[in-house]
Amino acid sequence: MTVRLSYENGTIRVEADPEGDNGAAGADSDAPARGGGLPPLPGVETDPRSGTGRAPAHRYAAIRRALEVAGVPVDDRVPAWEPAGSRAGDDGHDDAELALSTDYDLREYQAEALAAWHDADDRGVLELPTGAGKTVIAIRAMVDLGVPTLVVVPTIDLLEQWQRELETEFDVPIGRFGGGEQRREAITVSTYDSAYLKAEDVGDAFGLVVFDEVHHLGGEGYRDVARLLAAPARLGLTATFERPDGAHETVAELVGERVYALDVDDLAGDHLASYDIRRIEVELTPEERERYDEKQGTFLEYVREAGITFETGEDYRKLVMRSGTDPRAREALLAKSAAREVMMNADRKLERLGDLLERHRDDRVIVFTAHTELVYRISERFLIPAITAETGAKERREVLERFRDGTYSRVVAANVLDEGVDVPDANVAVVLSGSGSEREFTQRLGRILRPKADGGRAVLYEIVSAETAEERVAARRR
Amino acid sequence: MLRKDLLRVSRAGGGYRPRFVGRERRPLAAKVLGAFESTVGEPRSAVTAATDALEAESEDFKLVRGLAALVERECVFEARSTVPPPRVRRAAFEAAESVGVADESDRTRAIDRAADRLGVGPAVVEDDLYADRERKEVLVDADVRWDPDALIEQYNLSLAQTALFDATEIRVRSVDPKALVNAVKRLRLMYELRRTDDGRELVVTGPDALFRRTRRYGTAFARLLRTVAGTAEWHLEATIDDRGTERTMTLSGSDVSVPGVEPVAEPDFDSGVEADFAARFRGLDLDWTLVREPEPLATGTRVMIPDFAFTYDHADFTLFFEIMGFWTPEYVEKKLGQLADVEDVDLLVAADESLGVGEAIAARDHRVLTYAGTVPVKDVVDVLREYEVDLVAEAAAALPESFAPDDDAVALAELAARHGVSESAVEDGPFPDHELVGRTLIRPQVLDRLREEIDDGASLSAVEERLDAYGIDDASATLSALGYRVEWEGLGGGTVREKEASPEDG
Repeated sequence: MTVRLSYENGTIRVEADPEGDNGAAGADSDAPARGGGLPPLPGVETDPRSGTGRAPAHRYAAIRRALEVAGVPVDDRVPAWEPAGSRAGDDGHDDAELALSTDYDLREYQAEALAAWHDADDRGVLELPTGAGKTVIAIRAMVDLGVPTLVVVPTIDLLEQWQRELETEFDVPIGRFGGGEQRREAITVSTYDSAYLKAEDVGDAFGLVVFDEVHHLGGEGYRDVARLLAAPARLGLTATFERPDGAHETVAELVGERVYALDVDDLAGDHLASYDIRRIEVELTPEERERYDEKQGTFLEYVREAGITFETGEDYRKLVMRSGTDPRAREALLAKSAAREVMMNADRKLERLGDLLERHRDDRVIVFTAHTELVYRISERFLIPAITAETGAKERREVLERFRDGTYSRVVAANVLDEGVDVPDANVAVVLSGSGSEREFTQRLGRILRPKADGGRAVLYEIVSAETAEERVAARRR
Repeated sequence: MLRKDLLRVSRAGGGYRPRFVGRERRPLAAKVLGAFESTVGEPRSAVTAATDALEAESEDFKLVRGLAALVERECVFEARSTVPPPRVRRAAFEAAESVGVADESDRTRAIDRAADRLGVGPAVVEDDLYADRERKEVLVDADVRWDPDALIEQYNLSLAQTALFDATEIRVRSVDPKALVNAVKRLRLMYELRRTDDGRELVVTGPDALFRRTRRYGTAFARLLRTVAGTAEWHLEATIDDRGTERTMTLSGSDVSVPGVEPVAEPDFDSGVEADFAARFRGLDLDWTLVREPEPLATGTRVMIPDFAFTYDHADFTLFFEIMGFWTPEYVEKKLGQLADVEDVDLLVAADESLGVGEAIAARDHRVLTYAGTVPVKDVVDVLREYEVDLVAEAAAALPESFAPDDDAVALAELAARHGVSESAVEDGPFPDHELVGRTLIRPQVLDRLREEIDDGASLSAVEERLDAYGIDDASATLSALGYRVEWEGLGGGTVREKEASPEDG
């Protein structure tokens, strides 16, 4: 018996003793029902639609291993990334020639992390603090394996950053899915969003996939990215593997277990700069206070009457659902959002920001806020370059480059810069209107934990409005 | 398709039904179109304010937003500025860098410096700094292709598509199964054929659906709906994953259509041979109805859609009909393969004689006739006649030996329909209790009574009324049987006269 494996739109099609395509009458290449006679294989189920066996593509490596153990001959048509043979030249990519090299020398902990990953059959997650050089490890993994690689990242900024680093390091064109461009190369960088949309198309094109900020795979939609790719080698990178929602278990199944972890304290003062946190409270102006109390009051009144307690996130969702049909619920939600806006946009926050900009005239400052409109207010008021989801790829690249080369010493950004974007040498960060998520907070911190040339301490300011829900959010972090 | 947060559905009674809108929303649709037309030349923020105002006055803000979203997509917005905004920003930020802006006076100096550099006034710098932001773009064209009715039609289609985003599986029947199957393949979905009481339907899912319930293929289902809704008759049932609860949504042509698209009542012909055959066959008056591309038939794990089906008008019987024209050897191989695996149905194949495949088809247990040039309708009719003889005999075998309906008068057609057979199966009787007058069975007593009731010289309309009362609508045959004739008066009524004895009456 021979088992044929082929890749079909995010799945592995498994056929025992398939007939030749030009065989007996009726051998329409994908018509005949020959699912029977298969040995039990991991993840493979009988598909009545095609009359064959089928498994999600991420099971490919396990299926190959099981067939090998069982000693069954395999006609493997899955990898479009393997040179010559059955699939040679069908997409114009001459993958056989992918020979990569790098000049990076790994630091000791980086080499340990990489070895642990290789030991786990080139699968698994490395947990390293932001700034610990995860990119360098991934680059070395690509060189070691020498197969076409897809790098999946959460934001456009990380997309730009990976593309730039890979272009610098490797003498091959770097492909890109995301930010308005869809170009595949042997080494390709993609956003999670683009990868979600393209997974079925390109799932057989890469032998290695690198998930940057791998905890994103916990999201229901994004986990499809890992499910539908056949790549046997999988590398996950993150600063925070464990998640309260248990998503890390999904990640472990799709990418592999955590094979290496390094604490931020292990690095601080060594490779990372030490830092201070300063919290600044501002009072609302009397007008703002009045408006806030009014809006918040409308909201609270409805909530009290409707008996909503907000003990769980479910309650908020219910309120949102109710607002679709109940005008009063909608009014309450609009009031809540107006109250939040007052608090976020408090004038005195901008005054205090002005003070900080004055104090840090000679420093390199990044300002963060969750609200796009506030980003633009700050940009217009202090004439600071802005980066938001609205910013086009070209201008985004220009702003970051100019920040890097010192043309600009300030940048204001919406949360698009949240994760792992490499902005070297910023030593002051100001966070306006942050939310209470632990993960977000540490990653923002990571931004300024870059070693500074003169060894000076980095500072993180957090500006919050006093006596508001926002203040409680900030307090909860401590 | 709309954004998911604009979906409006009713879950009344545990169902899942998009809240479609009808003509009663015409005024609202007109207002939404008007809001865009009246804000041409203004920035997007003003356009949004105009539609927000409609939201406030309507009790259904999601409907307003949905309509507005559809219209906005058809409009053209443009960034307007004196200097390209990215240039303004570069100049302003560079100037700010050298000044070090922390307060208002710093800012003024930086703006002035940037204005000097660009050779424009400071106000231009202020205005153009972010003139390319979406909310500052200007509405330049609101010439939308929909009138209020078409907007409502588009809204309903978009709403149904949006509801399908959360579908995990759909089941479809359509009068154009070939277009359906092609669209399923094009969208890289998969199907299975399922027989139901209402005919064969395609169960459509995606590859990964084998392993888990997934909404991944929702957008593909939504695209598929556009193909399905472009036909005159269709039915779609979707399994919806409504935040973990499984619900069923049913859609049909009475809910959703495609604006500006004439629904396909019958698929296009693949070849002149087929079109020619259909035209000639339909010219005949037979007890068979010709259906173009009927339901798909299962063949292996795929489907075969025969070119035609003949359905017998008096019984539940279908003969499928496939025309194999001259084509490539690969095509012939594929067809023969399909014919070998097709499910057990009555199938007639007309094969071009140059193919030389007659025997091969017969070997696959199908009736075959060969043709050259055009398909001979007569040969096909002969085959149908054979089936008809069997069907009539079958029906006759189930009929009583004589017909004695309770009615005083009943048409043969009605009697045949009651037994589910053609008139020819009942017309020979015997009818122990009735006389056959024309094509109507009438009790002799009724005829006697009528003879007494009808006077020479009565008006035709009065007589027809009497006949009607007995359930007789064939007046002329009945009058003739009773020995009357009608004396016509112009184009209006007539007068009933006793027939004069004619030589034939002797």
